[in-house]
Amino acid sequence: MAVYKHSYQRYGGELTAIWSRFLILPRYAFQEVFRSKFLIALLVGSYVCPVVYALIIYLHHNLTALRILNTNPAFLVAIDKHFFYMFLQIQAGVGFLLSALVGPGLISPDLANNALPLYLSRPFSRVEYVLGKMSVLIILLSAITWVPGLLLLLLQSNLEGGSWFVSNLRIAGALCLGSWIWILFLSLFSLTLSAWVKWRFVAGALLFGLLSFVEGMGAAINNIFDTNAGYLINLSEVMRTVWSSLFALQGNGRIALDDAWRSLLAFCVICLLMLSRKVKAYEVVK
Amino acid sequence: MRTIPDENQIVLDDVSKFYGEVLGINRVSLAIPAGITSLVGPNGSGKTTLMNLMTGLLQPSQGQVWVLGLSPSRPEKLFPKLGYCTQFDSFPKGLTGRQLLCSQLRLHGWGRPEAAARAQKTLERVGLTEAADRRVAGYSKGMRQRIKLALAICHDPSVLVLDEPLNGLDPLARAEMLALFREMAARGIHLLISSHILHEVDLISDRVILINNGFVVAEGDIREVRDEMQEHPRQILVRCNKPGLLAARIFEENQGIEVRIHDDHRGLLVKTRCADQFYLMMNRAVLETGLDVEFIAPADDDVNSVYGYLIGADGGRP
Repeated sequence: MAVYKHSYQRYGGELTAIWSRFLILPRYAFQEVFRSKFLIALLVGSYVCPVVYALIIYLHHNLTALRILNTNPAFLVAIDKHFFYMFLQIQAGVGFLLSALVGPGLISPDLANNALPLYLSRPFSRVEYVLGKMSVLIILLSAITWVPGLLLLLLQSNLEGGSWFVSNLRIAGALCLGSWIWILFLSLFSLTLSAWVKWRFVAGALLFGLLSFVEGMGAAINNIFDTNAGYLINLSEVMRTVWSSLFALQGNGRIALDDAWRSLLAFCVICLLMLSRKVKAYEVVK
Repeated sequence: MRTIPDENQIVLDDVSKFYGEVLGINRVSLAIPAGITSLVGPNGSGKTTLMNLMTGLLQPSQGQVWVLGLSPSRPEKLFPKLGYCTQFDSFPKGLTGRQLLCSQLRLHGWGRPEAAARAQKTLERVGLTEAADRRVAGYSKGMRQRIKLALAICHDPSVLVLDEPLNGLDPLARAEMLALFREMAARGIHLLISSHILHEVDLISDRVILINNGFVVAEGDIREVRDEMQEHPRQILVRCNKPGLLAARIFEENQGIEVRIHDDHRGLLVKTRCADQFYLMMNRAVLETGLDVEFIAPADDDVNSVYGYLIGADGGRP
């Protein structure tokens, strides 16, 4: 039998922080995203609303411009919590469209190409893998929701004065928290579909289809049982309730706030369970 | 008695893996030291399951695995020391060979410049520099094998687990890879290789693990394994000038159970129960009869023969 001496030298250089390694994944994912001209156009289009909102804020504080446009300031929409709530709703809708196009292509190609063992045979866990993929959506959706929202808020504060910002600090919190809740849910939902449906177009269509289906089912439950419980599976209703409470607005009262949070939590837990079933180095087929 | 994790060995202690009711591997206990260890067995025998258990990609249903004293359930500790080349061509979509290597090195925590430099060095090592900036999806089978090997060795692992690394390679590339494996083993790296190319396994392996239907049939140095197989007489090839005379002497001294003289009457194939006594008899025969022996060698102590005896030429199928 051969006798071997340990003569090899392992890499002794400095290593990057473990927590930061999941950020390697989005780098190449973004290359893929920005290869699509349609997605670039959609991303650019998603800034139309923030630009319009910025113009409205500007007009509110520029009487000369209003005079030129022959517009009475009283006819302009008031810049308050309703203004930013609407902004969040519009941008969340655009974000939904974006995640339906980007999300399904994040995990499914790796599963279809059996690439998960490659990632998981590194010092890299399943959680980090999901975080890495999720960060693609988090970065993209942040760039069109809370980041422009906060910029608009800062613009308004700058033009209106620091006291306006202090008295409307809740709007900043609501914008950030409301956006993050939506982003996290949307990312989890689209990654789950991406993990379960190998064809990205089908997964994208399912993202729309499933939400419409559960909304329809919720409406059916409400009609048949003469109850409001069906709204608990209506995600738009759930999100509206949560956002309204964050912005301290009067909700429509169809579902209680606690129930809305529970419903959202349940959606997320289901998504996480489904993800953990699929994101494995090897799938055991029984 | 429980096996103590050894920092210099890959240890499997009474490991079983069941896929529902289907047996993957059953009660496997092994201690694998540095050097080249080949895992040999027919399709579906449990080779890949064993490798996946060692690399933590599968969890054992029973028993424990340690790789250099580390548990495979701690990927952050294990994989800086371990490189795994799976048998499947599994790559993320859209990346070039260089990008793939760089991204995987960065998952290991290497900085960008170090990763780029190491990727280049590894690409040179596996002979893939020219195709480095082409997309992996467009690689040939041989190139895919090379990039998989590059992915396994790029981060200087102490343990290399290679599942069918020679598949799809042309003879020249296979020879290059075997030389690379030998060079790595000489540096004290543990190499566990599964392969169907038995004569090449025989050439490079320090020890062999034969596996069939989820059970380890035999393990160790292949000659030692062969020595243990008393139920199969040893076959010894002798080339000499008087094969008839030698055959008579063999039966006279009761040292053979079967002798076949070659058609050219320049040699014979002997089946004997005790090889050591046969060799002693040969010494005496040469001294006493002036027999001119051209060469004498065992004919069935290679992996191929042992595989045939223990598993069967049909791959162990019932």
